[in-house]
Amino acid sequence: MKKWLLLLLSVVMIFTVFTGCSSEPAADSNNSQNEQEGGKKVIVVGLQAEPTSLDAHQISDYNSSRAAMEIYDQLVQFKDESTELEPDLAEKWDVSDDGMEYTFYLKKDIKFHDGTPFNAEAVKFSIERQIDPDHPYHDTGQFAYAEFTFGPVDRVEVVDDYTVKIYLKEPFAPFLSNMAMHAASIVSPEAVKKYGKDFSRNPVGTGPYKYVRWDPGVEVVLEKNPDYFKGEPKVDQLIFKPITDDQTRLAELEAGNLDLIVNVTPDDLVRLKEDGNFQVIEQAGMHVWWTAFNTQKEPFNNKKVRQAINYAVNKEAIVNEILKGTGELANSPLPPTVWGHNPNVKNYEYNPEKARQLLEEAGYPNGFEATYWIPESGSGMQQPATMAAAIQADLAKVGIELNIQTLEWGSYLDKVFVPPSENDMDMHQMSWIGDNGDPDNFLYILLSSEQWPTAGFNDAYYKNERVDELLSQARVTSDKEKRTQMYEEAQEIIMEDAPWIVLDHEKQIVIAQKNIKNFKLHPTGVFRFSNVDVE
Amino acid sequence: MAGYILRRLVALIPVLLGVTILVFSIMHLSPGDPAKIILGPKATEESLQQLRTELGLNLPVHEQYLRWIGNVFKGDWGRSIQLKMEVLPLILDRFGATLILTAASIFLAAFFGILFGVIAAARKYTFVDRFLMLIILIGFCMPVFWLGILLQIGFGLKLDWLPISGMYPPGERGAGELLKHLILPAISLSMGSGAIIARMTRSSMLEVLDHDYIRTAYAKGIRERKVVFKHALKNAFIPVITVLGMQIGFLLAGAVLVEIVFSWPGIGTLMINGILARDFPLVQGIILFVATTYVVINLLVDIIYAFLDPRISYE
Repeated sequence: MKKWLLLLLSVVMIFTVFTGCSSEPAADSNNSQNEQEGGKKVIVVGLQAEPTSLDAHQISDYNSSRAAMEIYDQLVQFKDESTELEPDLAEKWDVSDDGMEYTFYLKKDIKFHDGTPFNAEAVKFSIERQIDPDHPYHDTGQFAYAEFTFGPVDRVEVVDDYTVKIYLKEPFAPFLSNMAMHAASIVSPEAVKKYGKDFSRNPVGTGPYKYVRWDPGVEVVLEKNPDYFKGEPKVDQLIFKPITDDQTRLAELEAGNLDLIVNVTPDDLVRLKEDGNFQVIEQAGMHVWWTAFNTQKEPFNNKKVRQAINYAVNKEAIVNEILKGTGELANSPLPPTVWGHNPNVKNYEYNPEKARQLLEEAGYPNGFEATYWIPESGSGMQQPATMAAAIQADLAKVGIELNIQTLEWGSYLDKVFVPPSENDMDMHQMSWIGDNGDPDNFLYILLSSEQWPTAGFNDAYYKNERVDELLSQARVTSDKEKRTQMYEEAQEIIMEDAPWIVLDHEKQIVIAQKNIKNFKLHPTGVFRFSNVDVE
Repeated sequence: MAGYILRRLVALIPVLLGVTILVFSIMHLSPGDPAKIILGPKATEESLQQLRTELGLNLPVHEQYLRWIGNVFKGDWGRSIQLKMEVLPLILDRFGATLILTAASIFLAAFFGILFGVIAAARKYTFVDRFLMLIILIGFCMPVFWLGILLQIGFGLKLDWLPISGMYPPGERGAGELLKHLILPAISLSMGSGAIIARMTRSSMLEVLDHDYIRTAYAKGIRERKVVFKHALKNAFIPVITVLGMQIGFLLAGAVLVEIVFSWPGIGTLMINGILARDFPLVQGIILFVATTYVVINLLVDIIYAFLDPRISYE
């Protein structure tokens, strides 16, 4: 008996080492790496996975763009914390009256990191490399975003060393926003010629940071470009470490080995906010999450039914209780960080009484049964199963019985994005992450009847003639004020028609050590370090 | 002996072919169109079609397989879709890290497994035996990723004795730094195998310790340590070697989870990211590589038997 007691005690003691110790953080947040190497200022960033390429033209994921985009500049860039545009490598630009010709006047005396000059030829090279299959360096990569970014481009003309003209096939107002995207980065033509396919591991641009090395699976290291044309950055070195496991990444931050991480789980976020040992920097991203109705099928072709469901779902509870503040309640399909967002439209409040009344008016006093498709997981889908269960419970209260069907993401997309004649869908979940910060990239692509699958992503098969007219016109109008008005009106009609349950905009959340100063999030998800400092 | 080795080497070919067919089918039967996963849901039908042609995805599956296996024999393992690099150099580059981790774990598992097994057997049915067996049971039952997280929180975060994750390539910051990063992942990985080896050693030793020659050895006045570790252990070793050989393969595969938890830059992390991105040339390459390593190690273990036990002969 005594032996067993002794044994039990020993086991308990071993386990206390792991769990018991103390609840206070062992390392105080100031012993981070950032001043380690000989007084140099260093920021260590924890990425979710290894970057796949540092070639701006080949990037299609956040981990790569976060590690790579400080190496490059574009002709125009997004302003801090918004998707409005400002000059970058171009001093100014003209758009012809018919919206078909864009002339960019380039800044002079800028050099790439390899010492070669930045000029109009480099701009032409950077675009043609991606879109011209006969270009001698087209085979140096796979350009996933070339079609999206330069689809409207007819040709690029070098007028003189510092003037470049881009001709479009047809007027396309969002084009200027495309020129601020990562695929529109200007790369060093000499470096592409020298490294060929390996340019993605030897990137050369004009940006605030230069590439130093990439130890696969370990880290990507950049150092500051002292000759940066907008001024020398304050931080000497940036290190990006891929740490796939969420808990490990957080532990490394808490131990002070990382300065900045993304994506903590909702529960950890609550704890970190309460602790107050770190900065929690958050902003609604270019994202929207919704549940689409099949507006071409009974009973969802009845506006009152769609509105009733919207009243029946407690959206605020989902955002607060399930997402725990990792999303921002939406009032429109367009995120507030994108210009053209209409702050005056209202989302449907939680009102089951009103929902029942509307269902009765629509001829369904006892509700009905419907199928609700959801994916297991998927980019931007947040927590599909838990959110679906909450919606299912809310709708049960007004007599609508939802049968949830779960599919793997790839097969899910194949099932959702088919023409309406082939689709027996009732309701399903979907989300969208914006590309170029233009309202067209949300509203036209997701809600114009010209964009019914497979042409586009209008997965509710929504059709409203006035909305179609507004969205099509806004695409070819250059005047931004007029476009804003059109988008604002379209949002009013869309929210009234209720083709979706519009739920939330997922926030980008960065947890940083307290001594990191001036770090601002950008809606496009890239990290900007040129104005960041370490105290 | 030479004839035996040659026969075994020839027998490897159908085994490896079977593995390649299996892996290839799994990758191509798994749901989701690789082209769509690579280019994202926003890609146009034209660019999807172009990519499918480029990757040979439009060909019938058996033709794709023949094309791939033909190239593998020529030394061309294809190009990773996601990382845009040649697969074989990529694997070899990362395999070093996995090898370091696996070797350290095998060492730990074998050393402590055999030591604990022998002690437990020599002190059978006592408190020491029961205590060791309990520890071993816990080690065996604990999932590696869970143990890994506990070790990280305990020794990395709370006590701040050892690094939580990561690794520096040997040579970059010296062997000391590498060793410090290696300790926690190696312990996590070795726990399960160490437990199996310990139990195997214990039961094998118990059997041997009952033999007459052991009693004779004691009767001759030889010290207990010598009897147990020299006379008994040598004969208890054969089944232990079998288990050890099998555990090497298990550890190579099990390293995947530990590598993820500890951000260890080996082929495990490479493979997981490859699977998520449907990077089939990379995943096929890694599995073929690991399978080859596994069967070669098994062969080596069989050969080692003959040296350890003169009664075993392969002629």
